[in-house]
Amino acid sequence: MDTDIRQMFVDTAARLFSEQVTRDVVNGLEKGTWPADLWKQVEEAGLAWAAVPESAGGAGGSIGDLMAVLREAGRNAVPLPLAETGLGAMMVAQSGLTPPVGPLALVIGDAGSSVRISGGRVTGSAKRVPFASIAGHIVVVAGGEIAVVAASNARIATGQSHAGEPYDDVTFENAVAVAAGKSSVSADRALQLAALARANQMAGAAERVLAIVTQYSKERVQFGRSISTFQAVQHMLADMATHIAATSAAARTAAYDAEDGDGSFSIMAAKTQAGEAANRICAIAHQSMGAMGYTYEHTLHHYTRRLWVWRRDYGSETVWATRLGQALARGGADSIWASMTASRLVA
Amino acid sequence: MTMPTLDFPPFRLPDDAEALRTEVRAFLAEELPKVKTTDKFRSWNTRSPEFSKALGARGWIGLTWPKERGGGGRSFLHRYVITEELLANGAPAGSHWVADRQSGPNILRFGNEELKSALIPRILKGECFFSIGMSEPDSGSDLASVRTRADKVDGGWRVNGTKIWTSGAHRSHYAIVLLRTSGQREDRQRGLSQLVVDLKSPGLTIRPIINLYGKHDWNEVVFSDCFVPDSMMLGEEGDGWLQVTSELAHERSGPERFLTNFHVLTELARLVGRQPGARAAETVGKLVTRLWTLRQMSLSVAGLLENGKSPVVEAAVTKDLGTLFQQELPEIARIVAESDAADEDDLAQFLDLAQMATLQAPAYSIQGGTTQVLRGIIARGLGLR
Ligand SMILES: Cc1cc2nc3c(=O)[nH]c(=O)nc-3n(C[C@H](O)[C@H](O)[C@H](O)COP(=O)(O)OP(=O)(O)OC[C@H]3O[C@@H](n4cnc5c(N)ncnc54)[C@H](O)[C@@H]3O)c2cc1C
Repeated sequence: MDTDIRQMFVDTAARLFSEQVTRDVVNGLEKGTWPADLWKQVEEAGLAWAAVPESAGGAGGSIGDLMAVLREAGRNAVPLPLAETGLGAMMVAQSGLTPPVGPLALVIGDAGSSVRISGGRVTGSAKRVPFASIAGHIVVVAGGEIAVVAASNARIATGQSHAGEPYDDVTFENAVAVAAGKSSVSADRALQLAALARANQMAGAAERVLAIVTQYSKERVQFGRSISTFQAVQHMLADMATHIAATSAAARTAAYDAEDGDGSFSIMAAKTQAGEAANRICAIAHQSMGAMGYTYEHTLHHYTRRLWVWRRDYGSETVWATRLGQALARGGADSIWASMTASRLVA
Repeated sequence: MTMPTLDFPPFRLPDDAEALRTEVRAFLAEELPKVKTTDKFRSWNTRSPEFSKALGARGWIGLTWPKERGGGGRSFLHRYVITEELLANGAPAGSHWVADRQSGPNILRFGNEELKSALIPRILKGECFFSIGMSEPDSGSDLASVRTRADKVDGGWRVNGTKIWTSGAHRSHYAIVLLRTSGQREDRQRGLSQLVVDLKSPGLTIRPIINLYGKHDWNEVVFSDCFVPDSMMLGEEGDGWLQVTSELAHERSGPERFLTNFHVLTELARLVGRQPGARAAETVGKLVTRLWTLRQMSLSVAGLLENGKSPVVEAAVTKDLGTLFQQELPEIARIVAESDAADEDDLAQFLDLAQMATLQAPAYSIQGGTTQVLRGIIARGLGLR
């Protein structure tokens, strides 16, 4: 990892997002307004293709750099398919194909979808595909192949997640791909990378929840004193902070492990950790803000709704914990400690 | 918006620490079968002087202490590896644990030459064990309120008062005792000092206190006109509070705060077998995830400490999450075991183990700073108080 480059990505993302991603932009997406301007700026800043090699027109960063950008995106509830585009373009480029410009959606031939690629054509359907209805192209990874399909070539039934983001059902009927070939990653791996991305977005969102809630508790006065001086509130927030810290530590470690190796153990754990902590974090956050945090007016819901929804994307904690548990069990009880210390499955 | 951050940068142990792990595993595979203890389920609270001696002979007590003093001269990261391997393998490391973790380091840091040359070589050999003399009947979380007094007499101090919950005092050689050498109880942190006390001293009585599952580990230690020589003063008179705070930092951040009952997890995995049902697999996956996350957090803290930082709040976060994990582990395991065990006898044996772990669990979030004390520290770190 190059720390200067990493800092540059993080600074660029933090500045752009905190200036441009206003409450109206986030709420706007929920009302059906695609923030085209914001997307353009994000592309121009090199954030969408953070992990695409320079030779393919990207910013030349690592997967870890992309994850650092996604933590910033989560921290600001950025209403864009940054994870999908970042990973989709990266996988397409790594497979020797040219990634298409514009927002991308991801369909992985594993996560509850029946999608197949054969002879440059794609068939099958997938449910709850984030941002498919606004994407220019859909990147499909299935059975060792990768394909890029123009969204106009797929049938898309629009829907919306409970976080107010596009969540669309996609059907391919022998759709001709713009580009197709052997994939640099398996469908299993693609799903892991997508889970890693969501875990990092969740970490960012959770860190923001901590910031919002601690600040509010210092400002809100009841019984003549700020509520942060009540020990009951202090302990509630400390409890919440431990779960946020754990989510963030796990996501960062998984990103770090994925950067110079496979990291699949860490990724499974990180998405499980984020999923397990999300409800606890959201519940305490809302409790500590009273009615104000329950309004549409306040921005707390930008983060809590995303945490609740993102749990399910690209494998919930139940899915990943079960896979991890099965893999560990196959290795036998006495290899659990060795696997934990190596952060990979040791038989 | 200013963001309060709890910073846990990813940290990986260096290769030579991992190489040490291989050696430690080989050593434990050889030594552990030889150890006899009365505890049916062992942990770092289980004492075995023979095991401590064998570990000392390997040079693995005082691993981070300076070579000039006979220590290992290695980093805290190396010590981390030894500690976590002892814990995960259920090694009976209780005899030397306190001496290695906090008493030795405090003697090296604050002690006079006489104390160092008398005690450090014996600790290193695994022949000299320590207890912690902090708590009193009227001073638990509010440690600065201790009443035990030492009055100056010719050549030393005359000590009066009562310490309580003193783990292992009946099996240790010394205790480091926090007491008042000047001023009044109202002076709180000011006027406190630490004396190294020989637990065989005349005027000192050790009475057993039996814990809820019937074990004698705790004691009440009563001082009545107990004489302690000047040379046993640890550091400067009046610096007791400062020293005790640094001691508690050592006490808080280690892997014993989440690996104490790791055997419950491995035995659960053994019980549900290599092809567990979905529910058992999910449970194992979630438990391992929590433990893996805690270990990454704790490693991150170790890395920060090694780089000269003092991550007090991060250490408190890790201990809070870790101790609560240790409390939930036997309960979660018990519930899934009942629905997923294949064999009745194996289940009965596992439930026995899980039940015992449940009886031990309440202590985790009391010793070394209660959950509420830790949350106070975290809240302060978040700027709430
Ligand atoms: C297994 C075990 C081994 C031990 N070994 C040793 C040893 O070797 N040497 C030694 O000196 N001590 C030892 N202790 C004692 C330990 O340090 C104390 O138990 C601990 O500091 C808490 O003190 P207390 O038990 O008096 O509880 P108290 O301080 O009386 O606390 C009781 C309850 O009140 C809460 N509380 C207290 N103050 C506050 C506050 N300000 N805000 C909110 N809540 C509060 C606590 O969190 C707790 O829930 C041991 C304890 C255990 C359980």
